[in-house]
Parts: sequence; structure tokens; C-alpha cells
Amino acid sequence: MSKKSYAVLGLFDTPDALMHAIPKLRAAKLGTVEAYTPYPIHGIDDALGLRRSPLGGMVLVMGVLGALTAFGFQYWISAIDYPIITGGKSAASWEAFVPIMFEVTVLFATFTAGLGMLLLLNRLPFFGHPVLSSKAMKGITRDRYALALEAESEAFDSAAAAQALEAAGAADIEVLPAPDRSPFLTSDYILRTLGSIFVACLVAGLGIYSLIKWFPLLAPMKYMQDQPRLNAQKASTFFKDGHGMQPPVPGTVARGYLPTATGTQEGSATLVNPLPRTKDVFAQGRKVYINRCEVCHGALANGAGSLTAAYGAKPANLQAQQFRDYPDGKIYWAIVNGKNAMPAHAAYLTEPQRWAVVHYVRALQRAQNATDEDLKVVAP
Amino acid sequence: MRTDASVHAVPIPEGLLEPALTVGRVTPGSLDDQVLAFPETKPPKQWYLALAVTLTALGIGVACIGYTFTTGIGAWGNSSPVFWAFDIINFVFWVGIGHAGTLISAILFLFRKRWRNAIARFAEAMTIFAVMCAVIFPLIHVGRPWLAYWLFPYPNERALWTNFRSPLLWDVFAVNTYFSVSLMFWYLGLIPDIASMRDRTTSKLRKTIYTVLALGWRGAASHWQHYEKAYLLLAGLATGLVLSVHSVVSFDFATSVVPGWHMTIFPPYFVAGAIFAGFSMVVIVLVVVRETMQLKNLITMRHLDVMNKVILAMSCIMAYSYMMEGFTAWYSMNEYLHHGFMNIITGTYGWAGWVTISCNIFIPQLLWFKKCRSSYFWMILVAIGVTIGMWFERFVIIVISLHQDYLPSAWRIYKPTMIDFGILLGTFGLFFTLVLIFARVLPVIATTEVKAILPDAQPSHGGSHE
Repeated sequence: MSKKSYAVLGLFDTPDALMHAIPKLRAAKLGTVEAYTPYPIHGIDDALGLRRSPLGGMVLVMGVLGALTAFGFQYWISAIDYPIITGGKSAASWEAFVPIMFEVTVLFATFTAGLGMLLLLNRLPFFGHPVLSSKAMKGITRDRYALALEAESEAFDSAAAAQALEAAGAADIEVLPAPDRSPFLTSDYILRTLGSIFVACLVAGLGIYSLIKWFPLLAPMKYMQDQPRLNAQKASTFFKDGHGMQPPVPGTVARGYLPTATGTQEGSATLVNPLPRTKDVFAQGRKVYINRCEVCHGALANGAGSLTAAYGAKPANLQAQQFRDYPDGKIYWAIVNGKNAMPAHAAYLTEPQRWAVVHYVRALQRAQNATDEDLKVVAP
Repeated sequence: MRTDASVHAVPIPEGLLEPALTVGRVTPGSLDDQVLAFPETKPPKQWYLALAVTLTALGIGVACIGYTFTTGIGAWGNSSPVFWAFDIINFVFWVGIGHAGTLISAILFLFRKRWRNAIARFAEAMTIFAVMCAVIFPLIHVGRPWLAYWLFPYPNERALWTNFRSPLLWDVFAVNTYFSVSLMFWYLGLIPDIASMRDRTTSKLRKTIYTVLALGWRGAASHWQHYEKAYLLLAGLATGLVLSVHSVVSFDFATSVVPGWHMTIFPPYFVAGAIFAGFSMVVIVLVVVRETMQLKNLITMRHLDVMNKVILAMSCIMAYSYMMEGFTAWYSMNEYLHHGFMNIITGTYGWAGWVTISCNIFIPQLLWFKKCRSSYFWMILVAIGVTIGMWFERFVIIVISLHQDYLPSAWRIYKPTMIDFGILLGTFGLFFTLVLIFARVLPVIATTEVKAILPDAQPSHGGSHE
């Protein structure tokens, strides 16, 4: 142990005695005056001439930084990297970012206040301080109040300091030896610290890796993934025919596709076309006719479609007198149920589409057999 | 720092003087001997008995969660359209319980309510334990909790990000921040107390543990200066935080369009409810603690009296909120809201609605009487009533609103399973297990803070008075 002393410490029994002694010791200028108390004493900062704590400013800066970080992070993600429209709002609308900005502000500020106070301003944790190993420590954290004169330079006179403390009313005066040297920052210490950090990181990394990779595949955890389902290119064991997707029951009709003409064609003769003859309806009818009918019945509904030549099919010539005399209901019945080689179109066309086609077929028939009267109708 | 002598020149009338904060003579030394000695003594038989009960409850909860993991969420009663049930009810319930601790430690600190010092430590510990219980529920609610880290926005191989417009994500941030801040606040408060324990213990093992935990705290005036500043700042931050956390939890509901959820009163209503439930839990635990740990001179009847007054005030705010719910339903002239509100008082779950209203509004009115505020029987009755009532309030909000919403063909009655109840029991087990361990391991009263407000603890001249 070195003969050099770090500080001289004296104890007081009341905060009043402590406060009275401080100005006397400061006036003696023997060393830095520091107080050690079991709880904060009001007014001691001013008595000791401590500067205001800079913590408030640090917290403010970090809090603002937290808000900006949270805003930037959310903005970049939500508006730039991965824009998704939610609730019809612009991807860059900032209002929804406020709650998380607030939380991150508080988080940054809290950690600055807590860790900044401990690590930066108070230099804790530090287990090697001479006061910690003094006899007075038991009293300091219990019910006694200590004043210390701490060495500022090599010229510190511990005897004079002890005398000054005694004169100021302190009891149990103790001279604290300076520690030999800092126990930290020896090469051995640094190596051991770095080594243990490396091992800790390795263990943590392996632990997290196995947790993420293996844990979900362990016996009870993967049960939720084992769902009864049909895999691609595999036969179903659930249905007899081995198909996973079953055809609907015969006669099944999708919503909006109800066949309203299920009887005979003659019986449907009285059905009335519910749609008005408007431009939109004709346009719709034309579209459906081109998609579904034209290939057989031909663009002019004369039974000369492109399929006729290729396959020798003989679709009905809708311009024939027989079909021009048909009531709307019978054409509709043919569309819904099909006739001769023509398949039923009930499953492909909705109710309004079917009737729109009927209107369009009527228009085609009239166009091919126009009279002078028709021209007059168009004129005005 | 004000040193205006004239403020103290006018004598304060007798009736306005603040009553003593402790009963009998308490000195800093006797305080340490009374409070810090607990961790060094052997616990009594009753403690082991209580621990056995809470560990049994915890075991049942763990078994039920294990069963849920191996069979899936179908083990619970949740079913279309009630996809949120016990899991979210319990989450909101436990987060709410936590709010009392932060209120006592932060808001009352800012208001310079010195009586808070004696009960702040326990209340803060309860905050942390309650949030731990709460966090379990969203984790098991996601179905595959080992993938719960997907909740956080982190760069991943799927090139996906979380949706920052979802209140559920706000919740992730709010609850995590709340837990971190509460833990920081609690630990900072503990450091000087642990230092006291370090310097008084004779056991070598304890000394080592306390030395590490106290971080070499030595009570220097220059440290106290930063410490007090940090504590004040944390109190200010935690105050904003505690108001925000339950507001964000209420956004989970309020930002949706479900009738009965879509209301602007939800954030303040949730915060008041949280403080209400939390204070009741604190009263229950404090009564047990002051009786079994011989702390009657530190946790006085005055503490309980003031706590009960807060409960009464919160009850009145809850009454206003319930009335506003009815008023909003009526004034909106919206048939869905009408139906939702009538469901609360006359529907299939009408009994739950009335349990809520009775326990939260009618029973706490007993606290208008000083006799009830100073009688264990009545205050415990009210506190247990409020705890039950506040749990049912979340049941009413979640289950009643969900089981009948816009689409009548989807309406269905919700029935919880035994697994649901088991997990709820398990969290109570976890909470009280942690409370019991805390009471035997760490100082249950913030001795440093109480020392600072004892008579003659502060110099009689100069300086300012808090």
C-alpha cells in the first residue's frame, strides 16, 4: 500500500452539522470538499458550489433525436421503401406516425436520463473508489453524514485536513489511502474482457440461431403446421375419386346466373325482355355477342361464322324468317339451355347479359332487313 | 431554488398542516433496521404457504399455455366473430393494473405528494410484474409465439415491413417502452437502497450480489445532484408515458369501426379505468403487506385513506364514462350503436354489464364514508369488487361488442373454455409469486426516499423546501 492518501473523511450526526461545516472547510482550501450522505440533502449543491446538472439538456437533445429517428424510420418505410395504402390515406401521411414518435422520444430520453446519469455523469459502475472500502461507508448509507477533503494534487496534507475536519465538528476521522493503481486497463484485463464478450456473443448467437431454426420444428411446436390439406400433385385420401376439388352437385348455379327459363322453349315464349333498349344495353349485348356467339352465328347473325368453314358445323341462320318470327323468350331459352349442338350458356352469362344479347340479335336482324321506315326513325 | 424567507413567516393554520407521514418515532437507522432486515431473515411459514398457492396457480397456467401451444388456439373459446376474447381482455386488464405504480411513482412525485414515498416502491414493482403478465397474452395470442419477433420492424428476407398505421403496432412500441421505462425507474430508485443493504449485510454471498447491483453507489453529493435530476426527468417522462400507454391500448379498439369501440372517449376512459383498477390492486396488496410485515408505522391508515379517495374519484370518472357511452349511442341516432348499448344492459351478456356497473360505480360509492375508508373489511370489499368489475368491463367492451356487430348472420354466443380460465389463473399466480419473492428479496419501502422526508432529515436553514 502506498503511503499517499486519497482523502480524509469525517462523520457528522445531523444534516445541520454537516451544512454548517461545509463553508468552513471550503474556506480552508485544503482539498476538494465532497459530502457523502444517505439521501439527497436540500441545498447542499449550492453549499458545495456544484455546477448545475447538464442532464436536462442531454435529455432534451436525445428526446428530439428520438422523435426525428422515429419519424424518419417510419417515413422511409411507409412512404418510400414499402408504401402501402391504408384507409385511403396517402402513403406519406405523417399523422399515424405520432404515437410511435412519442414512444421512441420517451425511450431515448429515459435511457439518456438513466444511463447518462449513471455512466456519464456519475462514472458508475465503479467498485474501486476508496470511500467504498472505508469504515465510514456503513454509516453513510444508513444514518450518518460524511464530509471528505479529497486530494487535488501530490501536495495534499492529510494531517492538516484531519485537523480542519475536527475543528469543524466531525467525528471518527479516517484517512483513506489512495489505491495503488487503477485495477482496470491492464493488458490481461482487456484480453479477458474481450474474450468473455466474444464468448458471450457466440453463445447468444448460437442460442438465437437454434431458437429460430430448430425450435419451431420441435415436436409440439410444429403440430400447428401439420394441417390436413391436399398437396400439389398428390391424390386426396379424403374423397373416393382422389380429387381434392369436387365438382358441384348437378344443377348447381352460381349467384346471379339463375336460369329463369327451365321449361320448354314453347313455354318460354311469353317471357318479356326486362331491359330497356338503350345504347348501353346494346353495347353490352354486342360485346357478349362478339365473345360468345359470333364464332358460330357470324358477325351478321347469318349462320356464317368462322367455325362453319373449319368444322362444317351448321349453326342456325338467325336471319331466317323462322328466327325473325321468334318471340324474345324463345331466343332467351336457347341461350340459357342450348339447342341441338349449341351448349347451354347459363353458366357463362348473367341474367342481364343474356337479355342484352337478345336485344342485340334483334338489332342485327332488323339491320339486315331494314325498311325505308327505319331510315326515317334514325334521321332526326 | 427559492429561498424566500417571507413564505415561511406566515404560520400555517392547524387544520391545513400536513399530518405526519409516519406513526411513532422513526429515524433513518430504525427505518433501515425495520425494512432492510427482511431480506436477511428467514421467511415465516405463512410465506411458504402463500408461495405454494401462487406457484400452484402459476403451474396450472403454464400447463394450460403448454396445452395451447401443442393443440393450437382452438383450445380457447375464441371463434368467429369473437376473435378477441380472454387473451385481449387479460392483456388490457393487466396493463391497466400496472398504471397505478407509475401514477404513484411519477405523477404524485411531480405533484410533490410526499406520502407517495412510502408506497412507491411496492407500486412500481407491481407495475413491472403486471406488465410482465400482460405481455404474455399478445405473445400467445399470435398463435406461434416463437415468431413473435415478427412484430418488430426489422429488415428481413421477406422484404416486408410492419404497418405503421396499425394501432396494434403502436401497442408493440407503447408496451415495450412502458416496460423498459418502468424497469429503469424502478432500478434507479433501488440503487441507493441496495447500497444500504450491501453495507449492512454480513453474508458474503449477499454482499457480492448487492455490490454488483448497487454499481458502487457511494452517496456522494455530486452524484445525488445528477441522481435527483434524473429522477425528476424520469418522473416527467413516465407521466406522459403512462397517459399514452393505455390511450394507445384503447386505440386498438377506438380506431376500428366496430359499434361500441369506435368512440372518442376511449383514451381518457381507458386511462382512468387503468388507474382505478391499479389502485385497487395496490390497496389489496398494501393491506396484506402492512399487516404481515409489521409496517404499520410506515404504511399508515392515512395512506390507505388517500388511496381510497383516489379510487372514489376514479369511480366517478368511470360513471361519467359509462353514461357518455349511453349518451353517444343515443345521440348518434345510429341503430348499431343503440343495439350495442342495449346489449350491455339487456343482452345475453347483460349480467356482465351489470356486474361491471355495480362493481365499478355502485360499490365504490361506499368510500364516501370515512368509516369505510378506514376499515379493512370495507376497503378490501371495494378493492376486490373493483378488480372483478374492471375485468368484466373489458369483457363487456370486447365480447359484447364483437359477438353481435353489423352482420346478424355472423352473430354467435362466445363461451370461454377451461383453458382460458387456467391461463388467467396462471397470470394471477405469476403476479403474486413475483410479489411474494420481491417482498422477501428487495426493500419493500424506498428507505432512501422515506429518510429524506423524516422530521429533521433536512437542514433547518437555507435551501428550499420541497
